Amino acid sequence: MAGGQERILRQRIKSVNNTRKITKAMELIAASQIGRSQARIVANRLYHDGMRRIILEAALGDPAGAKSLLAEPERVTAAVVVVIAGDRGLSGAYNSSVLRAGERLVIQRRSQGTAVRLIVVGKKAPGFFRFRGIDVAASFTGFSDRPTFSDAREVAAAAAAPFIDGEVQEVVLVSTAFLSAATQSVTTRRLLPLTLPEAPAVSEPTGLKGYTEFEPEVEKLLTYLAPRALESEIFTALLEGAASFHTSQQRAMAAASDNADELSLTLTRIMNRARQDSITTEIMEIVGGAEALRARK
Amino acid sequence: MATLRVEVVTPERALWSGLAIALMARSSEGEFTILPEHTPTVGDIVPEVLRVATDEGEIRFAVHGGYFQVGPDREDNVTLATVLAGVAELTTEIDVERAQAAKEAAEATLSALSSNPDDHAGAALARAALARAELRLRAASARRDVVQ
Repeated sequence: MAGGQERILRQRIKSVNNTRKITKAMELIAASQIGRSQARIVANRLYHDGMRRIILEAALGDPAGAKSLLAEPERVTAAVVVVIAGDRGLSGAYNSSVLRAGERLVIQRRSQGTAVRLIVVGKKAPGFFRFRGIDVAASFTGFSDRPTFSDAREVAAAAAAPFIDGEVQEVVLVSTAFLSAATQSVTTRRLLPLTLPEAPAVSEPTGLKGYTEFEPEVEKLLTYLAPRALESEIFTALLEGAASFHTSQQRAMAAASDNADELSLTLTRIMNRARQDSITTEIMEIVGGAEALRARK
Repeated sequence: MATLRVEVVTPERALWSGLAIALMARSSEGEFTILPEHTPTVGDIVPEVLRVATDEGEIRFAVHGGYFQVGPDREDNVTLATVLAGVAELTTEIDVERAQAAKEAAEATLSALSSNPDDHAGAALARAALARAELRLRAASARRDVVQ
């Protein structure tokens, strides 16, 4: 029995320490990615805001033509739902919370009699939905850590095509909004028909509403603008999703490293006690043996 | 005096921004020039070389399609012209060899596809790639006569 338990404990401590090395490395890598993905959100903001301004301008310039793209659909018989999750796990509740929100939305729409075409981003998504018996119409993987604009284009094209063809009346996005480094929250919002960025009664410096010229005429412009707007919205969502993923992975891995530290400390204490016990037992045996020999003399 | 501020913006980064004399590009309606105090305008930009005339000379961009908006800036007497493009680059940043290789690859794909007329998606992709590569080469060859 001597040392047996001690050896087992030593092995466990070693394995906990190895796990800690991995979680610590993942934590540091995720932390280094947070800054970069945040910078990309900032870099994209100018384009995103500019796109929204153009759409607002075009919508105000042609209220009649904008109706088909902006008006509330009378009856939604079919909708596209885009869910943006991550490719990798070990990121706390990041994937599961956005996926569960997506599942809730699909179930809610279906109960209202709306057919749902599901488009998902991230390796974690298709399995989740298939396991729950929800068909996935299209899935995109491999870029959730570092999405590029052409990735967003592909997703947007898949989402916009049925809307433009009139097969669906609505495109809804479920994604994680990166509000700040400390807060991220799952949001569900409608992408098409377009929702106007702000109330039209904004007192912006572009005060000459209604006097804007359009080239080509505004009806044509709006038709082509809608898919571009969708690309911009989806790209923003992908970037925010990536930043949220890294933040949430960093947090999860920091917690895992802390747990490993604690576990390793506890196990070390138990091991030391076991070692002392075995030493004590050994001394007792030796002393007992020596006593027995002397007594026989 | 009225001045013009030009911003060329892509989703990945703000490509260029600064004061300019004029902005020249092509929309689906044809060539246009934006000067200071241009009337507020919103329009599209077709893939073409976009030129910005500044005090230091002309700056050129290969813009692969996009939109522009002209309107008054926050400051007085400044006209803001914003160019939004999904893909755009400064002509000085174009890798000519890569563009040439991309052009040849796209041409090879197209000629290979000519025997298979059913692959519309593939042909459209190749044609788009070819158009991009040709625009890049055109933009890059145009940069030589830029006044430095």
